[in-house]
Amino acid sequence: MSKLSFRARALDAAKPLPIYRGKDMPDLNDCVSINRAVPQMPTGMEKEEESEHHLQRAISAQQVFREKKESMVIPVPEAESNVNYYNRLYKGEFKQPKQFIHIQPFNLDNEQPDYDMDSEDETLLNRLNRKMEIKPLQFEIMIDRLEKASSNQLVTLQEAKLLLNEDDYLIKAVYDYWVRKRKNCRGPSLIPQIKQEKRDGSTNNDPYVAFRRRTEKMQTRKNRKNDEASYEKMLKLRREFSRAITILEMIKRREKTKRELLHLTLEVVEKRYHLGDYGGEILNEVKLNRPDKEMSTTPATLHNGNHHKIQECKVKHPHHPSLKEDVSDVVRQKKKYPKKPKIESVITPQQPTTEPLPVISKSDIKQYDFHSSDEDEFPQVPSPVSEPEEENDPDGPCAFRRRAGCQYYAPRLDQTNYSCENSELAELDKLRYRHCLTTLTVPRRCIGFARRRIGRGGRVIMDRISTEHDPVLKQIDPEMLNSFSSSSQTVDFSSNFSRTNASNKHCENRLSLSEILSNIRSCRLQCFQPRLLNLQDSDSEECTSRKPGQTVNNKRVSAASVALLNTSKNGISVTGGITEEQFQTHQQQLVQMQRQQLAQLQQKQQSQHSSQQTHPKAQGSSTSDCMSKTLDSASAHFAASAVVSAPAPSRSEVTKEQNTSHNNINGVVQPSGTSKTLYSTNMALSSSPGISAVQLVRTVGHSTTNHLIPALCTSSPQTLPMNNSCLTNAVHLNNVSVVSPVNVHINARTSAPSPTALKLATVAASMDRVPKVTPSSAISSIARENHEPERLGLNGIAETTVAMEVT
Amino acid sequence: MAEVGEVTEGCRLPVLRRNQDNEDEWPLAEILSVKDISGRKLFYVHYIDFNKRLDEWVTHDRLDLKKIQFPKKEAKTPTKNGLPGSRPSSPEREVRKTLDLSLQPASTPASGKTLPIPVQITLRFNLPKEREAVPGEPDQPLSSSSCVQPNHRTTKRKVEVVSPATPVPASTETTQASVFPQNGSARRAVAAQPGRKRKSNCLGTDEDSQDSSDGIPSAPRMTGSLVSDRSHDDIITRMKNIECIELGRHRLKPWYFSPYPQELTTLPVLYLCEFCLKYVKSLKCLQRHLTKCDLRHPPGNEIYRKGTISFFEIDGRKNKSYSQNLCLLAKCFLDHKTLYYDTDPFLFYVMTEYDCKGFHIVGYFSKEKESTEDYNVACILTLPPYQRRGYGKLLIEFSYELSKVEGKTGTPEKPLSDLGLLSYRSYWSQTILEILMNLKSENGERPQITINEISEITSIKKEDVISTLQYLNLINYYKGQYILTLSEDIVDGHERAMLKRILRIDSKCLHFTPKDWSKRGKW
Repeated sequence: MSKLSFRARALDAAKPLPIYRGKDMPDLNDCVSINRAVPQMPTGMEKEEESEHHLQRAISAQQVFREKKESMVIPVPEAESNVNYYNRLYKGEFKQPKQFIHIQPFNLDNEQPDYDMDSEDETLLNRLNRKMEIKPLQFEIMIDRLEKASSNQLVTLQEAKLLLNEDDYLIKAVYDYWVRKRKNCRGPSLIPQIKQEKRDGSTNNDPYVAFRRRTEKMQTRKNRKNDEASYEKMLKLRREFSRAITILEMIKRREKTKRELLHLTLEVVEKRYHLGDYGGEILNEVKLNRPDKEMSTTPATLHNGNHHKIQECKVKHPHHPSLKEDVSDVVRQKKKYPKKPKIESVITPQQPTTEPLPVISKSDIKQYDFHSSDEDEFPQVPSPVSEPEEENDPDGPCAFRRRAGCQYYAPRLDQTNYSCENSELAELDKLRYRHCLTTLTVPRRCIGFARRRIGRGGRVIMDRISTEHDPVLKQIDPEMLNSFSSSSQTVDFSSNFSRTNASNKHCENRLSLSEILSNIRSCRLQCFQPRLLNLQDSDSEECTSRKPGQTVNNKRVSAASVALLNTSKNGISVTGGITEEQFQTHQQQLVQMQRQQLAQLQQKQQSQHSSQQTHPKAQGSSTSDCMSKTLDSASAHFAASAVVSAPAPSRSEVTKEQNTSHNNINGVVQPSGTSKTLYSTNMALSSSPGISAVQLVRTVGHSTTNHLIPALCTSSPQTLPMNNSCLTNAVHLNNVSVVSPVNVHINARTSAPSPTALKLATVAASMDRVPKVTPSSAISSIARENHEPERLGLNGIAETTVAMEVT
Repeated sequence: MAEVGEVTEGCRLPVLRRNQDNEDEWPLAEILSVKDISGRKLFYVHYIDFNKRLDEWVTHDRLDLKKIQFPKKEAKTPTKNGLPGSRPSSPEREVRKTLDLSLQPASTPASGKTLPIPVQITLRFNLPKEREAVPGEPDQPLSSSSCVQPNHRTTKRKVEVVSPATPVPASTETTQASVFPQNGSARRAVAAQPGRKRKSNCLGTDEDSQDSSDGIPSAPRMTGSLVSDRSHDDIITRMKNIECIELGRHRLKPWYFSPYPQELTTLPVLYLCEFCLKYVKSLKCLQRHLTKCDLRHPPGNEIYRKGTISFFEIDGRKNKSYSQNLCLLAKCFLDHKTLYYDTDPFLFYVMTEYDCKGFHIVGYFSKEKESTEDYNVACILTLPPYQRRGYGKLLIEFSYELSKVEGKTGTPEKPLSDLGLLSYRSYWSQTILEILMNLKSENGERPQITINEISEITSIKKEDVISTLQYLNLINYYKGQYILTLSEDIVDGHERAMLKRILRIDSKCLHFTPKDWSKRGKW
């Protein structure tokens, strides 16, 4: 049998191998070479080392002798075990515990200094010990702290003194010694440390850098296509798909809501038909009653339909108990849809007032069941339907386009819910009106109407509003106010700026200083003055007590549009530059501010503003404008986004606000509220909101906003239409007097509407879809029916941007 | 006859060396560094074909200047005069060598002994195509020899580095010959061999762990403790940097580079606290340290104790400072150990010997908490004073005891050092022979066992069982089947060896519960 005639099978690790021993062993010559079947196993060594002389010698020695011979061992450098001072060095003995040693890793870090004194230090210590007592450990702690406080830069003596709790002489001595020693030290630290890696990768190949942090690397299989990059792509894809799912779910929900709304509208109309409410009287009645009741609840919950269940239950509906409210909604909604009336686009840039803006999140959706197409304004969800709209957008490039990554906030329903019929309107308007008479501590003077914000880095930013009263207001002296408040009402101030030519007009645009002061005194006009001690204290400094009559909400437009223009001037897109986080932060800050303001307000009211002061110094307004100039780009961004993302108040709100202003002008300025006169005013006004809305939209377009203070004029309700024109005049006046460069910028554009301004208008237009469904705005929408022509004319600007206005 | 002043880095010449038998030898050595201490020149020499641990600083009178070979600037002709080495176990030895010594223009021709005139390799980054065309290497299997990776010698054992005889495409790549070239050429080199079988040697366990072709440019792989990638093997790490370490009673002469703080490398003696292994620069500092350090044992949990021998388990994440100190010390004696990354994914098992002063460290091994490649040991070291006394085998035995508790088979991380190979082979041989010899024949039949059974009993990985059986020449093919043959020779040798092996691990003394690290987040 030739042993070469066959080939050995592969070695099977699972197959039993019989063991032959001793005499049983077959002649190895009979055995077949297994080299092919069982390949030589690698030794596991580096090849070049495997061939090293001593190893080979040792291996062959083993193979020959079956055990290592002494002379065949691999030589290694010597090691000695003869440290004779060992026992002195390691003092004491350690008894082996019976139990296994168990150690808590946390206990390992004792607070001993890492620095160990050397003999050089010992010399110093001996020297120092002649004058004072210093223990080695104490010294080590000192050096240890100095070392650990220093990086490349040594700590200074001053810092050292703070660092070390010793007496100055000792610190000085040790510090000087340490600095000297550190300079002579060759290492980076007196405590020898392993070189650390540097983040720039420059130490990647430094052999002395050890123990680098492991960057977490994804576990992907080698030699497969799913390497890290494609894995990340898959992750991204998954994220995006899930986002798409979310969007689709939201759309689904929105459409369902719309359908519900439609049904409700139908129901309301049917009910009205049965009641014979063809003129809307019953509806109005309902509207008028409603806010009174609302006042009993907090504004925060107003937008939540649930609590209306308790209040009004005329029409029961299982899902929408607050049918009254819905009625108005639905009516308005119904009328609107066919025409897509978009004119209620007066942007009242939403300065958050009493509460955080309701950021709609997925969990909030239920709360907003009544909003139909507004739900596509969910934050972070770029509206998928905005694209087709833009195509037939008559505004072309100026049209508002939703931006991805921009949060569009839900409407502030609590604002729009307040109708002017509200008997306690003054209370509420205080929260709403943003600007109030403000005085500064340094320089001590009154800067007129302003609004405070917290800007980047906690800076306090005053958004000033120019009014025609500025010259008068500058005269206000805080001391004057002080004395004033303490003095009797009969104190008469002769005003330097008495009324300017208002006699020809039906209203007076200006008040005399004495009037203002008397207003302040009588708490009709509130004046904010920072506390003298700390201007920066954001908790306490703001005392904005606002009176509806003295400040006009519309001014917000100007402030925000200033910001808007500012940003566009900087070439930054209005909304895109703001990340979600930034916006949230701002939002939170604002919310906080609001709360503080509210608290302040209440406090103020209780104390009857006894402590209020105004600053007397009438300085040039140019210097006073520095506050508004501090509007940095971030806050500008924010302001702009606030414009865009804030729920735009409807035109009804604006008109209402104007109404309230006028009401207050009319002398109904008791702090307790305007009571019933407001109702009548509103009724009177209900014929005019169309006009005012027109004006507002136009002024937005022209960047000359209605941010004057009509509040102070004394016209009667009947003169309101005229009043509006007066106001427009006043606006122009004001804008001229504004010194802030940003405002000048606006003025420069008054003649030709800037694209930004147009955009703003359209933004507002698109935003007002939110208020459309809100109950209170529906009220005015009814009133607006009378003014369809005007509105239609306006719609040229703003009508078109509704996304998915499905009916 | 050259002058002493002409001896520069890269020169090769015989250097006087005294061997274990106290005989003078003149092995060929390479000058790695020259330094001048108070007018006296010292030369750091690496004895070719001797382990790096024997490298040393010598004075000029030990150099045989008559036979000096100067480094050539360019290797012009691929003269390969050297004959294949006569050593049976490493047929490829002629073609290996040290491309990584990029600092040294002429650092490397490997088999110096056989080369009368060493040829310098200036060209370290030649492409495989050229390499493959090299004549004169008949016994070089192409599949395992041709991949040239300037800084990725990760394929080390399978893929040989360029031979000194490689023709030099001097124009192309030489300019890239920086110390740490980017791996562009390496990538190309790999790509140029589409058909190359990665696993040319069967049962290789270590290669796949390393991403040689698509890995990070310069950092070593992140698993394991040992570098197989020698891209950092520059001249600095080739040289010992610590002269002497005092640890407890012992004074150790380091064998290899260790990245102790650079300012400490110039000290004549580096002092270590015996228990916490902190390094200080002077005896005074050590004295001061000892007043503050109250450790008398490694700062971990004792998981084994029998007699004076104890094992402590230290978590590399929880006790970083000790783990790092231990690694720094171990690096002095482990050539291929890498300290590139942190110690977080490792457990350290420190073997101590107790006396009245405390638990003195004898040796240790580290172990990945989670090994993707069945490694049950990453680095393993018996400190030099305790070597050749059975402690190494005890450490190995302990590591397999742990694997038995875990119910896994394991293998040490590669590459093994020479001593590691000898120790492991010895342990494997004794363990397997012990089993084979204790097998009783059942009902008259010849006793038999499968390789898998051996592996299960011992926790030695199957491949290691096979290689041991091969190495011992126990496995034979007889009458159509594989048999194991235990010759008298083998049996006698084993019995003699086992007589000497007194220290054994007693599994009853082990108090160890393996943790499932994969469920604990990241290490």
